[in-house]
Amino acid sequence: MEFLTVSLLNGVIYGLLLFMVSAGLTLIFGMMGVLNFAHASFYMVGAYLAYTLQKFVGFTSAVLLSTVLVGLLGVIVERFFLRRVHKHGHAHELLLTFGLTFIIAELIKLFYGNFSVEYRIPEFLNFAAFQVFNTDYPFYRLLMGGVSLLVFGLIYLLLTRTRVGIVVRAAIHRPQMAEALGHNVPLVFMAVFGIGAALAGLAGALAGAFYTTNPNMALELGVIVFVVVVVGGLGSMAGAMIASLLIGLISSFAVGVDLSLASLFGLLGAGDWAQQMGGLMTLKVSSVAATIPFALMLLILLIRPSGLMGEKG
Amino acid sequence: MKLTKILLAVLLLALLVLPAILPAAMVNAAIQMLIAALFACAFNLLCGQGGMLSFGHAAYFGVGSFATLHAMNALNGEGLLPTPLLPLIGALGGFICGLCAGWFATKRAGVYFSMITLALAELLHSLAPHLSMLFGGEAGISSMRSPAWGLDFGDATQVYYLTLGWVVLSIALLYAFTLTPMGRLTFALRENGHRLQFLGYNVHRLRVLVFALSAMFAGIAGGLQALNLESANYVLFDMRFSAEVVLNTYIGGVNVFLGPVLGAALMTFFGNAASDLTQSWLLYQGLLFVLVMMFMPSGLAGLVLCWSAQIRRRGWLAVIPAALSALITAGLLSLAVVFAIETLQRVFSQDYQALLIADQPWPAISLFGREWLPGALLTWAMPLLLGLAGLLVLKLARRQWLRLLDDEPAAGPVALRSRVEGEQS
Repeated sequence: MEFLTVSLLNGVIYGLLLFMVSAGLTLIFGMMGVLNFAHASFYMVGAYLAYTLQKFVGFTSAVLLSTVLVGLLGVIVERFFLRRVHKHGHAHELLLTFGLTFIIAELIKLFYGNFSVEYRIPEFLNFAAFQVFNTDYPFYRLLMGGVSLLVFGLIYLLLTRTRVGIVVRAAIHRPQMAEALGHNVPLVFMAVFGIGAALAGLAGALAGAFYTTNPNMALELGVIVFVVVVVGGLGSMAGAMIASLLIGLISSFAVGVDLSLASLFGLLGAGDWAQQMGGLMTLKVSSVAATIPFALMLLILLIRPSGLMGEKG
Repeated sequence: MKLTKILLAVLLLALLVLPAILPAAMVNAAIQMLIAALFACAFNLLCGQGGMLSFGHAAYFGVGSFATLHAMNALNGEGLLPTPLLPLIGALGGFICGLCAGWFATKRAGVYFSMITLALAELLHSLAPHLSMLFGGEAGISSMRSPAWGLDFGDATQVYYLTLGWVVLSIALLYAFTLTPMGRLTFALRENGHRLQFLGYNVHRLRVLVFALSAMFAGIAGGLQALNLESANYVLFDMRFSAEVVLNTYIGGVNVFLGPVLGAALMTFFGNAASDLTQSWLLYQGLLFVLVMMFMPSGLAGLVLCWSAQIRRRGWLAVIPAALSALITAGLLSLAVVFAIETLQRVFSQDYQALLIADQPWPAISLFGREWLPGALLTWAMPLLLGLAGLLVLKLARRQWLRLLDDEPAAGPVALRSRVEGEQS
């Protein structure tokens, strides 16, 4: 029961964090057709910027400031890099952002070294929110989840209830038509790219303090975020939310499950035989927790190629 | 065409006499270059010719490596497969894995295809350390080259010739493939898969076959790597290697058959040479890749073709000024970038930061055989000035290049008109 509750809480909050990063990615993809490989790099830049700034301006302002700065970085990437190669097609844009991840990761290594930095939760946020089965549950986790929910709510309201949202949604579905109606579609693209990057930066600034901040964090998270976006359906906000929670819960539960394929065969009475087979049969679920999201993604692509909430195939 | 053939023959001859000239350590680097070249060429069959961008090609390279090592251990170089033929096992391994993975991946096209290849490679990467039977766990597996055909494969030179033979044969086969009807269909796949489908071809089967063939040649490259290093572990499946082949291939140029070979050979060479000099090689590689992507999408090979076309049209003399200023631009700008990066790298390195004493000026760093003070204006003005000079020359080079291109349409019609008039009279 304790395992269930704690895993559930952790999984939901990890999922919400994943959502903050994948929301921008899925918006950008839905609108521009660009799968932004560098998106997780924005997450990493957010963490490192907040780490640097908090020494000077304190934690809260550092988080806000790095969100804005990463947003600006996103604007620069869209305006001066992506827009230049737009005419060469989507594969080319994908490759360009792929190259940018390299540059960003190497620059981070150059300035901060190839090891994790001492980015910690500030003292005033480091307390227990409540007790679960006599163990303290950190308030900071709830804060991350809360911010993510707030972001989801804001984006949802912005997209569905405001004029700006209407223009953005129009630009997503029919860019040429929206442009013909006199809306500045390139500007909308740039703004959405910037906001998406800012969200990733915010997630990085918050999560970097809780998890580790190192030069590999972009790659580790990036691959998972791709999985989330593909499983949820590229371009769908709600899909990203569902898939984030799903993957968050799966990763959080899988690390605690001590079963293997052999135990499944054990139920059928062939446990001993399976144990002797070794290899895949005796692999514990907990030790292959990292592979489950990929397996899920392959499964989804086979049975429902457009993702859980995707519209077009 | 004739010139290309002569150049290729010269290149082959140079590769044949190379081990006699080079010291032993460099022979090893040359083997790495050859393997990287073959890997990139195999990758280009899929991505450049078939239009399927894979982000997980290191998986098939790795599978080829492991398959070859297992064969080495099982056969000891005896029986039907003596040591020189072992990469065939790598090819087989790559082909089978390519068939399976390709069947999944090619069900979708575009970005989805890339994502599936990435996921498959990551799946393998995270499973491999747990499957100690196949991949030897964290430590990996190792083997020994057994003597065969009167050769003992004890020194690097023999391995070099073995690698060279396989690489040349494989690249020739890959080229021959582009001339076959199926090779032409591969190009069609890139240009318009839908139309191919309407013409009655089974597009999915074709995609799977191209994928498997590409994986097969990647497997040969992996097998050669196994023969060279005599060991492998699961790190081979790392994202890093998949990324490297993408970078190499595009830096070389995907639209020219030998472009990826050029890119991979150059990048591996510089990577080997630079790894002693700088810690930021990957950064330079990334910068180069982004530059290529933004300003010359046809890559280095496209650049070479472009210049040689101008030379053929106008002769050496007319092209030299533009080429010279382009070279100076490239030199100045890369000097500026290298200067800035290396200075920053040294100033921010942990060793240097440990030397600092509070309230004292920062000690000098050595770069290009000189001492530079981080507090001095000159240290930071140098890259700026170099960069500015580079940009100025860039303007000049641009103007000269445009003038070269501008002359072209003027020359065309005039020549045509005079010929038409000649025929009339």
